[in-house]
Amino acid sequence: MVERLLLDTLVTGLPLVIAYLGIYTVFRLRSDFDLTVEGSFALGGAATAVALTAGTDPVLALLAGAAAGAVAGLVTAMLHRVLKVQVLLAGLVTSIGLFSVTLLVLGVPTVSLLSADTIFGRSGDRTVSLVLGVIVIAVLVLYGLFLRTEIGLALRASGVNPRMARSQGVDDRAMMTLALVMANGMAGFGAGLVVQTQGYADVNMGIGTFVAGVAAILLGELIMRPHGSAIIRIVACVLVGTLVYRLILVGALRMGLPAADLKGITALTLVIAVAAHRYVASGLRRAARSLVRSREGVS
Amino acid sequence: MLEIENVRLVYNAGRSDELTALDGLSLTLPGGQFTTVIGSNGAGKSSLIQIISGAVRPTSGRVRLDGTDVTRHADHRRAGRIARVFDDPRAGTAPELSIEDNLALALARGRRRTLRFALSAKRRALMREHLARIGLGLEDRLGDRVGLLSAGQRQSLTMVMAGLSGPSVLLLDEHLAALDPGTAARVLTLTRELVAELGATSLMITHNMEHALALGERLLVLSRGRIIGDLDAETKRATTVDGLVDMITASQDTVSDRLLIGERA
Repeated sequence: MVERLLLDTLVTGLPLVIAYLGIYTVFRLRSDFDLTVEGSFALGGAATAVALTAGTDPVLALLAGAAAGAVAGLVTAMLHRVLKVQVLLAGLVTSIGLFSVTLLVLGVPTVSLLSADTIFGRSGDRTVSLVLGVIVIAVLVLYGLFLRTEIGLALRASGVNPRMARSQGVDDRAMMTLALVMANGMAGFGAGLVVQTQGYADVNMGIGTFVAGVAAILLGELIMRPHGSAIIRIVACVLVGTLVYRLILVGALRMGLPAADLKGITALTLVIAVAAHRYVASGLRRAARSLVRSREGVS
Repeated sequence: MLEIENVRLVYNAGRSDELTALDGLSLTLPGGQFTTVIGSNGAGKSSLIQIISGAVRPTSGRVRLDGTDVTRHADHRRAGRIARVFDDPRAGTAPELSIEDNLALALARGRRRTLRFALSAKRRALMREHLARIGLGLEDRLGDRVGLLSAGQRQSLTMVMAGLSGPSVLLLDEHLAALDPGTAARVLTLTRELVAELGATSLMITHNMEHALALGERLLVLSRGRIIGDLDAETKRATTVDGLVDMITASQDTVSDRLLIGERA
């Protein structure tokens, strides 16, 4: 029973870690809201599914999903840069437009992959979890290393204090473009993994991705307490947050809740996480302030 | 050398709240000169800094840096040669990031940022060396978040960051205004040292007439977007605070309380 619960959590949660790490990139590192993910997630899944049914190598199919997502991010970035539309609005417009694009790519609302070859073949949930685990760890490590580079640092700084970043020679707008392309590429890649684990792609599979990702991030932040320079905590926050969030959903399903209630559980999780942030985080801030005061008293 | 040629800066042009911040201002700052700038509220001091740093584009006129026309270059493109310290101690650093990350960001200023790691043992050693010089003990706290530092420490850190990567122009925008008198005095000492060490063309805006008179080799008095006084080192030595007040009131500009009271640091 517990094993089943954990395996379900891993198989459905691990692919989402990558997509939610993409959401973290814009939501936390850039302090902005990118709703493109709702569309790029579905598009990435669709691209992967269509590539698989056409007999493409499953790994290449994943990359096709990532590329499709990245292009979607680029569209939002261009709307933001050229037309000076806010990221929130640009992402919303792109995600709505992408629904039609995704339907066009899929041809039908749902494409089954029963007959197609996936990276998992016919293996059981244990093997699938293991393969997913290796892929996710690899992506998390690469992401963490990227954040430590000069460009990654510039990206982190530009989200915290754009004025300061510009005065240190960081092209703020280029960083926004980079964040949007990366975030949606990762959403597309994650969606490709989702499609390969669940065995189908659906035109509606992106709906609610953003809110679910934010809920997972807030949960992860409660546990890991990441900040701009604590990179291991950042990747751990998304990993732990996503898995805990999925555990809640899988647990709710196991307890006999109908699948239709899952969106409600997501919203509830988000509300509880926000409430916990308010309560716990304000206590932490007080502690930090008194720490600063005591240090100033000494100096 | 920094040349500002007939620069006009108009906000809300053509509207009822049209405001001329800089009114055909021309100024040449020879390389390495340390100039202080004083003026009443709305005289155009901060607008001058904004124009030089590239944060704001002038309505007309040109800005030239060492002979290159940089009028249309965005602020981040000028950052390699123009360093800036803001009036708000929180503005110049990223609070969420560690001291070493903030410094690493400044170390890469003016270069193309790559996929090389921002931090290395060599760079950390360089950071410790620079931090040790300001004597705040920050060299032992490289991993601490900047948000934990006091205003004075943050402003000192911003100064160290400004000094990295050897800028040819240093802009100090009322950088002592938000500090308590004791801290302001310490940061002022740091300012003198940094300016002397860098040998950069330095422009320091201040509300404190004593600072304006005591520091630098040249003093500019601004009023309503124009330069109404340009004092060289010799004239500056012979001028008193009262003399400066007379100069500003003579231009029919009101002298704000803040300017008169100043911080007697």
